[in-house]
Amino acid sequence: MPVFKTPFNGYSVKFSPFYENRIAVATAQNFGILGNGRLHVLELSSNPTLPITELVAYDTADGVYDVTWSESHDSVVVAAVADGSVKLYDLALPPSSNPIRSFHEHTREVHSADYNPVRRDSFLSASWDDTVKLWTVDRPTSVRTFKEHAYCVYSAVWNPRHADVFASASGDCTLRIWDVREPGSTMILPAHDHEILSCDWNKYDECIIATASVDKSIKVWDVRSFRVPISVLNGHGYAVRKLKFSPHVRNLMVSCSYDMSVCVWDFMLEDALVSRYDHHTEFAVGVDMSVLVEGLIASTGWDELAYVWQHGTDPRAS
Amino acid sequence: MASNSQSSGSNPPPKPWERAGSSSGPGAPFKPPSGGSTSDVVEASGTAKPGEIVTSTDRNAAVNRSTLARPVPARPWEQNYGNTTYGGGALGGYGSSMNYNSGYGSGGMYGSSYGGGLGGVGGMYGGGMYNTGLGGQMGGYGMGVGPYGDQDPNNPYNEPPSPPGFWISMLRVMQGVVNFFGRISILIDQNTQAFHLFMTAMLQLFDRSGMLYGELARFVLRLLGVKTKPKKANLQGPNGHPFHGQQQHPSGNMNYIEGAKTAPSGSWDNVWGNDTSE
Repeated sequence: MPVFKTPFNGYSVKFSPFYENRIAVATAQNFGILGNGRLHVLELSSNPTLPITELVAYDTADGVYDVTWSESHDSVVVAAVADGSVKLYDLALPPSSNPIRSFHEHTREVHSADYNPVRRDSFLSASWDDTVKLWTVDRPTSVRTFKEHAYCVYSAVWNPRHADVFASASGDCTLRIWDVREPGSTMILPAHDHEILSCDWNKYDECIIATASVDKSIKVWDVRSFRVPISVLNGHGYAVRKLKFSPHVRNLMVSCSYDMSVCVWDFMLEDALVSRYDHHTEFAVGVDMSVLVEGLIASTGWDELAYVWQHGTDPRAS
Repeated sequence: MASNSQSSGSNPPPKPWERAGSSSGPGAPFKPPSGGSTSDVVEASGTAKPGEIVTSTDRNAAVNRSTLARPVPARPWEQNYGNTTYGGGALGGYGSSMNYNSGYGSGGMYGSSYGGGLGGVGGMYGGGMYNTGLGGQMGGYGMGVGPYGDQDPNNPYNEPPSPPGFWISMLRVMQGVVNFFGRISILIDQNTQAFHLFMTAMLQLFDRSGMLYGELARFVLRLLGVKTKPKKANLQGPNGHPFHGQQQHPSGNMNYIEGAKTAPSGSWDNVWGNDTSE
């Protein structure tokens, strides 16, 4: 399956919810420490032997840490930029008029962005200034700021089955669950003993959420009884960087880690590790599963490569 | 491939889980979702606070509101890239890239904290093996080259040592010369002494062995019956006759010196023989 070489170090990859052959890749120069960033929008060829082509790329003055596709406009992407801004790009417009919006309220790097898949008019940004902000496309400023975390917030993810609920994963070792109508968080899960780097909701059960942590483990929680996790998935050799539940299979999830591997898990099985992909030669920091094509996985990492492959096949085989 | 998934309107294709319908059990601890747009919902709840910018002082207040008081690590942007535990998820990540270097320092590449052992770029060779080796070597001559022992040849951050002054180099040359001749002379001295000792030992050996063999030979000859008479002191005249006028000492021992010699009457008559008549 095809591979794309990005000039900078990859940070995040997302499948478009509108086009099954379109992905967005967020990259940052010099491993994101210092330098520019670039947002790539790539097009997969219908013939898997052909290489990935670049549809368009946008340069930023700082690294791009995350990207999310708009659920309401097929050509709009939201980029989380390391200078604290959240930028909107419209692929249908010429490059000169992009970005169409740039929201600059975070005082530190924005580390994740997530578009509301249910109500489709808002998105979240999680930042190292310890806050999560809620934005709508029609407002010039953020609608709300969620500030309870005591440390950087690495990820904020909407509940895919509930329009008002989202979860945030933070370096203060807690996972918090929020309702946008409530003034404070509705639940606090002291989920790990180390920083939590990522979280994701189960697509088929609105009460199940998984967390990925520096302690190398993935834990699956039921928010109805979050004293103990449903399952603890061990197998990564280093911190687990990103986590994504499968849109098609209830118990399946994919994770990527600083041990340079991408793992697929079934959290209900005794032997939870379904498969492991070692195609990256550097930290694997971005992973996603296609909503439109079952089993299609994309990953990117600091080896400046973005891979797209079908689950069960070798990502490097092309 | 793209054609069949293109959605004409502004909504993406339905999600697979939406097609599957709700499968979560009862008792979800969430309030039922509200209708309307997100901004309307938030404003209706009275929690909207548009455009709030959180400063660092607010952040501290947020820490106080937090129900969990746990020690948190240093902020990613405050972390020293050399020794971070890379956990920060984000920036921590690039700290760890620097930690590849730690393979040299701690031998623990990909160690438990992913390179936490790196002391810093400059310290990589610091206090290293080269220093002690060099210092010890020079110190062996008893003079020592102290300041130069500290110079690490592999440390790119130290300036190279300045060349030694004239007198220092002169003294070093002299030291070498003296050392050389000292070795030569001690060699000669030792050789001479050894030769002397050897010769002395040989001479002593010959001397002793001469006596030894003399005694041995005499003993053997005696065994063989060869009587080697001890030299008697009594004088015998010709034909075995004792001197006529001589007085025999009772002990058989001649006393040449003591006692007065009895002068023969004939005085010189019997000098040439005991009996003139013969």
